[in-house]
Amino acid sequence: MLTKVLSAAHSGLDTIPIEVEVSISKKGFPGFNIIGLPNKAIDEAKERVKTALTNSGIEFPQAKIIVNLAPADIPKEGSNYDLPIAIGILTALEGVPETKRRAFFYGELSLDGSLRHTKGVFLLALAAKRLKIKDIFVPEESANEAAVVRGVDVYPVKTLKDLTNHLVGTEKIKPLKNQNNIKTELEQAVEFDFAEIIGQEQAKRALTIAAAGGHNIFMQGPPGSGKTMLARALAGILPPLEEEESLEVTKIYSLTGNIPPGGSLILTRPFRVSHHTTSRIGLIGGGSNPHPGEISLAHNGVLFLDEFPEFSRSTLEALRQPMEDGKVSITRAAGSMNFPAEFMLVAAANPCPCGYLGDPKRECKCSPRMIMRYQAKLSGPLMDRIDLHINVPAVDIEKLIPQKGKIKKPVNSKVIRERVETARKIQSKRFKGTGVFTNARMKNKQIKEFVKIKKEALLLLKQAVNSYNLSARTYFRLIKVAQTVADLESSPSILPNHVAEVLQYRIRVES
Amino acid sequence: MKQKNYQKGKTGEDIAASYLQGIGFKIIEKNFSTRFGEIDLITVKNNCLVFVEVKLRVGEEFGTPEELINKRKISQVRRMAEMFLLKNKKMANTYQSQRIDAVAIVVSQNYEVERINHYENIGI
Repeated sequence: MLTKVLSAAHSGLDTIPIEVEVSISKKGFPGFNIIGLPNKAIDEAKERVKTALTNSGIEFPQAKIIVNLAPADIPKEGSNYDLPIAIGILTALEGVPETKRRAFFYGELSLDGSLRHTKGVFLLALAAKRLKIKDIFVPEESANEAAVVRGVDVYPVKTLKDLTNHLVGTEKIKPLKNQNNIKTELEQAVEFDFAEIIGQEQAKRALTIAAAGGHNIFMQGPPGSGKTMLARALAGILPPLEEEESLEVTKIYSLTGNIPPGGSLILTRPFRVSHHTTSRIGLIGGGSNPHPGEISLAHNGVLFLDEFPEFSRSTLEALRQPMEDGKVSITRAAGSMNFPAEFMLVAAANPCPCGYLGDPKRECKCSPRMIMRYQAKLSGPLMDRIDLHINVPAVDIEKLIPQKGKIKKPVNSKVIRERVETARKIQSKRFKGTGVFTNARMKNKQIKEFVKIKKEALLLLKQAVNSYNLSARTYFRLIKVAQTVADLESSPSILPNHVAEVLQYRIRVES
Repeated sequence: MKQKNYQKGKTGEDIAASYLQGIGFKIIEKNFSTRFGEIDLITVKNNCLVFVEVKLRVGEEFGTPEELINKRKISQVRRMAEMFLLKNKKMANTYQSQRIDAVAIVVSQNYEVERINHYENIGI
């Protein structure tokens, strides 16, 4: 007896339909074999399916069972084939009827016969829509992910038993209503409010600009001056994701299994923090079967790299191309894959190994050679791609201890966030339909089309380019940041003072 | 314990032998063993030399006898079969075709046969 059940495999962000063929023959020596290039997780599906069926009150057959995952030449991984295999066996054996229309079955089984949260359900729903497959059967805990896709009936399956009852017709599972109201906030506790950070007005201003336009930012300062604190406070002023952006982020998070059970569309802008021991593959993505790295998980959000020069050289240099293109293509023997990576880089570093170079109060203990070696880690091409360079000096102790009437209440994150959101609204209105969301992602074409710059401002910019020998890339980047500054003030065109402000954030490259 | 297992194996072989004889097998040798391993039954049917692995279980609560016949066990039987053919050149010449079968037996606590299954040609 042969049955065919439809499931899916993910290759990068693409989804390929996989036919799960189950053949059961009573003749021959009993056994259970899975073929079609399964990996270890799929091979172990044998034991899960066997036990789950037994624990659902179905006697596992003494028969020769062969499961083929077709097309047979694509390597498959993941635990999502448990459900289609189990259903295939049930159909072949117990006469559980097949679905009237073609349907996707997808999910990992627990030993007790219930279904577990499985990654990639959102991608499956998108594929179902593309392939015009109306019904998908997925674990209940993952069903919300799929429910945001319109035009697909999502059946939340709690246990194997429920699904057999549904297929037999004794007790129907109700498809989930299309839900747009379930939103998932990523758990990223905003640890600091901008109001808690005393002083550092320049850094706060620069971070506001960075958040408003999605620009890369580099902070340098002695230990304890508040670089890390500032970066973490940045998470609190990021605007929520736009609908289109949210879809892309959800795709990546669904693929990597980062959506919590019951979760759905991700609306919070990702804020990823990577430690400096992160490997190149962990950061960029890769592996023999390519997986997205941190830069893709930070897509449409922020990637914060603290202790920037401590990262290995090759890791940092590998950031260059994705920073420019907003995507990363990974080519391995298994194939080539593209992952989006439009992230905003926030980097923090000390000026030298001891940390006190240029500090007015403490002496730097490093030899010139040590300083050179430390700073050489931050290569020119990499720093050239960072628009905002700021110094975060040590905070004056007088400012930390409140004195009567002297302390001015600093602006809190909520106010700054509103400013950022206004600036982003102006941008999204401007770029509507172009696929660009922020000023930082403008291509030269869009700069020509959208940016209005006052004559005097352009003159100032030209002067700066000539006297500092700025590169063509820097020139365009300056315009983009100036545009963000103009947007923050809701100014229709770039004025000279906008350019002037932007130029002061460029000091580092030229010094 | 060892003694008990041996006894159990012997019982299994006897049950299997009488069952196979009942369906037309001719028993040539029981428990052919060398220092490398053993074959439970060597039989002949339709001019084909059949090496039989017998597995007996008391009750099926802790798994079926079939589960215990895995690739490793089969390849061991195959190796022993080759050894038998080397030792008995005459036998090898008489029977050109050979195969490996399995007999799974489940008995109750007091050794009453609950089921007996015979699988032909399990060699991979």
